[in-house]
Amino acid sequence: MNGKLWLKQKLPMIFFNFLCMIGLAIFLHVTGNSLDSIIFISFIWSVILTVHLVISFYGRKVQMDKLLNLTEQLEERYLLPEVMEKPKRADDLVYYRLLKLAGKSMLEQVAKVRRERTEYKEYVEQWVHEIKTPITAMKLLCENHHSQGAKELLVELEKINCFTEQALYYARSEHTEKDYSVREIPLFDVVHQAIGENKYLLLQNGIGIDLQETDDTVYADEKWLCFILNQLIVNSVKYRTKHPVLKFYTEHQGSQVILCVQDNGIGIQTGDLPRIFEKGFTGENGRRAAQNSTGIGLYLCKRLCDKLGIGICADSDGSGTVIRLIFHINDFIQRSL
Amino acid sequence: MKHRILIIEDDVVIQTQLRNLLTGNGYEAEAINDFPVSMEQVKTFCPHLILLDIKLPGNDGFSVCSQIRTFSDAPIIFVTSCNTDMDELNSIMLGGDAFVTKPYNTAILLAKIASLLKRAYPVANQESLSCHGVSLHLESGKIEYAGRQADLTKNELKILYYLFKHAGTICARADIVEYLWDNRLYVDDNALSVNINRIRDKLSVIGVNDFVKTKHRQGYII
Repeated sequence: MNGKLWLKQKLPMIFFNFLCMIGLAIFLHVTGNSLDSIIFISFIWSVILTVHLVISFYGRKVQMDKLLNLTEQLEERYLLPEVMEKPKRADDLVYYRLLKLAGKSMLEQVAKVRRERTEYKEYVEQWVHEIKTPITAMKLLCENHHSQGAKELLVELEKINCFTEQALYYARSEHTEKDYSVREIPLFDVVHQAIGENKYLLLQNGIGIDLQETDDTVYADEKWLCFILNQLIVNSVKYRTKHPVLKFYTEHQGSQVILCVQDNGIGIQTGDLPRIFEKGFTGENGRRAAQNSTGIGLYLCKRLCDKLGIGICADSDGSGTVIRLIFHINDFIQRSL
Repeated sequence: MKHRILIIEDDVVIQTQLRNLLTGNGYEAEAINDFPVSMEQVKTFCPHLILLDIKLPGNDGFSVCSQIRTFSDAPIIFVTSCNTDMDELNSIMLGGDAFVTKPYNTAILLAKIASLLKRAYPVANQESLSCHGVSLHLESGKIEYAGRQADLTKNELKILYYLFKHAGTICARADIVEYLWDNRLYVDDNALSVNINRIRDKLSVIGVNDFVKTKHRQGYII
């Protein structure tokens, strides 16, 4: 509590006391009291007033500091009115009631928004599942009718599938507890799966695959990891140059296995590098090379990686990009299994 | 003997296309058209393998699966668009053998079907294919003609396997590359030519010439 401000607030009271003091002095003077006794009485009055001010200031300060401390310790601060002591002073009581009312209306508001959000999320998930039926039907139709046109359609279908997956994982990335299971999986199985899902896209764009396969296993969720790799592959195709080659290899560093996804595309500008995992960031490449950059893919990758405890970082030297996925191989997990 | 596969799927397009795909790959396929699924239909068809969707009108796939399990041990592949872990767990708990999510890679689906059928109904497996006196030994990865043998690399073996399987028809280069990709061999167009040339060299060493013929702008044929 600010002392000066408090004093300012008390000024009318002090001024009123001062006026009374003068009035009393005049009265005492008129009734023939000596100057000494007048000064003495005024002095006593001032002392009592000061003591009262000091005591009430500190009393109030202690009370307020307690409240501030309590708020500081609370994890969910908006719950303060529920835990604080009910004040005794009349005006405090009004504020207390106001706080309670405001808190309640806010909670109602939050609950409403949360409910709407869950409903929307469920709708998106359901929509994605519905849309997959026609996608599957189209895919089967195309694959049963071998022709150049069908192959081009398949590429577009892979893109559609990639975008719907993005929507699904975006909706899910908030409530991940529900939907992931971390297991020990062979790293390159997932790589093969991701390449398989983008087969037509890669083939039509003439992307060479260079796979340095190892039998490393990592602890991760297969579906999520596959989704992340899908996004990386799609990016590499989007920002390709002539004779594109996509390289997958692993590096070992202490207790870490690092999966590197390297392309020889247009790369990322050094200035843009620190921001590529931000939501909606498209950077120089988004403006120049690919008009359909959304700035969602890498953001989602980062988000999912954070949830799964996988490190992700990007490196670019102007000609090509390396994305590294860093998996921790925990000794503890291996021993206890 | 042709294996019979039952498709339980309510989307008509997927149903017919799956049937075409399966018939085209040498299976006898039948689909159920009346929902909810009646067990009588399943019993009359007596399938070797069942493709089952989870979202079905009437009973869902899980209950259909447990009903089927009361009288049949045929492998069941769940084919679905719900790819949550709970669904996968449920399907396996109820006796499903595999779980494929939509939209599926047909090559992977066919491979899963083949491997499940092979495990459930073991037959003496064919270890070698032959065509015009040249035989391909899959287990040992060798090609043989008139008693002379040559070793093949993984890529060459797969290319020859594809050509032998389609003997007498033209195999487009793109189809061969796709087939190789489905088998995790990421070979591009140039590398395919290199591999074909190596195969021809090896063949001429064992005394076969002009076995793999090039059809200009169409592909290869044996």
